[in-house]
Amino acid sequence: MAVFPSKDWVEAVLEAAKKSEAYQEAAKDWEGDFLCIVEGDAEFLRELSRKEVMVGFISLIDMIPAQDRMKYQGTPTGKVFEAIGIPLDVSLKDLNADEVLSKVSKLSAGDVKGVSLYVWADFWHGAVRNMVPVAPGEHQDAAFKLSGTYSAWKLMVSGKQDTIRLIMSNKLQLQGNMAYMMKHMKAVVLLTKEVFAGVPID
Amino acid sequence: MYFEIDSKVREDKGLCMLRNETHRFAEEVLRPAARKLDKMADPEMVIAEGSPYWDALKQMKKMGYHRMFLHPEYGGLGLSAIEAHIILEELGWGSVGLATAIGVDQVPPGIASLFAMGDIIDNLVRPWAEDTDAKFHGCWGVTEPECGSDYILATQESFLPHVAELHHGQVRAEQCGDGWAISGPKSGWLSSAPAATHVGLHVVLPPYDSLANGALCIVPLEQKGVTKGKPIDKLGMRDDPQGELVFDNVYVPDEYMIIRPPFYEFRVGQVLCLTSSFMGALFTGLARAAFEEALEYSKNRIQGGKPICEHQAIKQKLYSMFEKVETSRYYTRKVMEHVWEKIYVEGTFDASSRHALCGQIYSKRSAFEVAFEALQIFGGYGLTKDFLVEKLFRDARAGLIEDGTTEVLGLSVAYNIIAEY
Repeated sequence: MAVFPSKDWVEAVLEAAKKSEAYQEAAKDWEGDFLCIVEGDAEFLRELSRKEVMVGFISLIDMIPAQDRMKYQGTPTGKVFEAIGIPLDVSLKDLNADEVLSKVSKLSAGDVKGVSLYVWADFWHGAVRNMVPVAPGEHQDAAFKLSGTYSAWKLMVSGKQDTIRLIMSNKLQLQGNMAYMMKHMKAVVLLTKEVFAGVPID
Repeated sequence: MYFEIDSKVREDKGLCMLRNETHRFAEEVLRPAARKLDKMADPEMVIAEGSPYWDALKQMKKMGYHRMFLHPEYGGLGLSAIEAHIILEELGWGSVGLATAIGVDQVPPGIASLFAMGDIIDNLVRPWAEDTDAKFHGCWGVTEPECGSDYILATQESFLPHVAELHHGQVRAEQCGDGWAISGPKSGWLSSAPAATHVGLHVVLPPYDSLANGALCIVPLEQKGVTKGKPIDKLGMRDDPQGELVFDNVYVPDEYMIIRPPFYEFRVGQVLCLTSSFMGALFTGLARAAFEEALEYSKNRIQGGKPICEHQAIKQKLYSMFEKVETSRYYTRKVMEHVWEKIYVEGTFDASSRHALCGQIYSKRSAFEVAFEALQIFGGYGLTKDFLVEKLFRDARAGLIEDGTTEVLGLSVAYNIIAEY
């Protein structure tokens, strides 16, 4: 069981992709990276008030090198980091999650509106070559961009809703070469069903 | 009942029972209702209160046939492709017109069950699935007065490089607050539209530069700004009331926009794959009905001192008709299995449109050829209203135009073959 989003979750997804023969076969011709954009919403704020989620969240942010993390400065996300005491310029390994949690309780849903987390994933011929959180402005040239609220992402990565339905319902917004994606729908479906849903989340 | 060559079907008691029960329903409910509706001089009587149309529709809903194409997680029956095909062939045997009514009925809840989420599932799809009293009745709004079959080509991915050359669409949606305002006409060939409560409607979106830049939405029809045309008077499928729909600034909430960009351009053709597999099975049923009528008649009609089936000319016709019915059944069944797998099992929505459309074309053409020969076997009696074969012939002829002319459907397949074979 992993927390979404967290370092553990990213590692578990990479492992699940390595294990899924069905996904590897379906995606054997796929070439294209994704920039995933997770937007803050009320559920995100609620979840952050749980200690295990906050610890997982800090572990994810800590994967971004400090110098890159500075790119959050001045953004709505950077302001929330500042408000809850997540420094941008140093390692977060020694950060006290309880102290951060106490500040999260003072946030309102409006404060997290505009928060954006970026995860870049490099899918290549059935393998997930890389999956890392990145700073704002990085990998803007990704072949595909998939954005949506934390709630929508959670529905997808938990396997409770399929990606197509979430996109059709405008819960997730997709940009990129649709004709290419349509030719590889089985890979897209199995990425959700086998890889993401293969990692149970808390 | 016909001999089933697929041993997996033939030896499956459940499937045999399903076939027999559906056949009985088609024979006892659909066929008598269809013949009454067919003979109504005024098409408006078809949808009038107390008409056999409503009784047949309610009985089909009681049987659950309006849930065949709904996603199993959202009120669908969860049928296998074989089960669906068996049911549809029998319904088509009973009445292609009434079977079409239960088919288009499923377009609004069906697309929502496949692609939507949220309140629309609880507020529309589930109540629709549970409705056995025909409180809900759906139709499919595709064709428009100035672009009849253009939509067929526009749904074919291989045609996309040429789609801007077509008409740019008459029914337009524009953003209006949190939802959309829809205006424009759909032509008079919309099955069940005069009787429907909701339509699964194809619209074009700003900047209105292409039929491919559109959406498939659900529009409740009992609201201000919607005008329903009267049922048209026509040659065949008179038990299928068709009429126009005109929209004048009709509001639709955003969640009712079901298939929207970017998926509309590339995936709305999958809806056509579903409807094509549906029509393929129905017209197999019609072909079989015409064949069986002719076979029976040929055994009883005496000419030259013996039943006409003993004349070689008739034997040749019967063989040719049998061949068409059998090949139609097993090709369209295979197509349905493929479409079912891609849409309901794998959920990849990448069914082969060329095969789905080919199934529809083959089945309709076979049905017409079989009905043509069947009527010929009946001789002069085939031209009278006394025999079912006359209705079957007219219905089969209508099929060559309904749901896209076979020519345009074939053209659409040709673009696909050239680009992707």
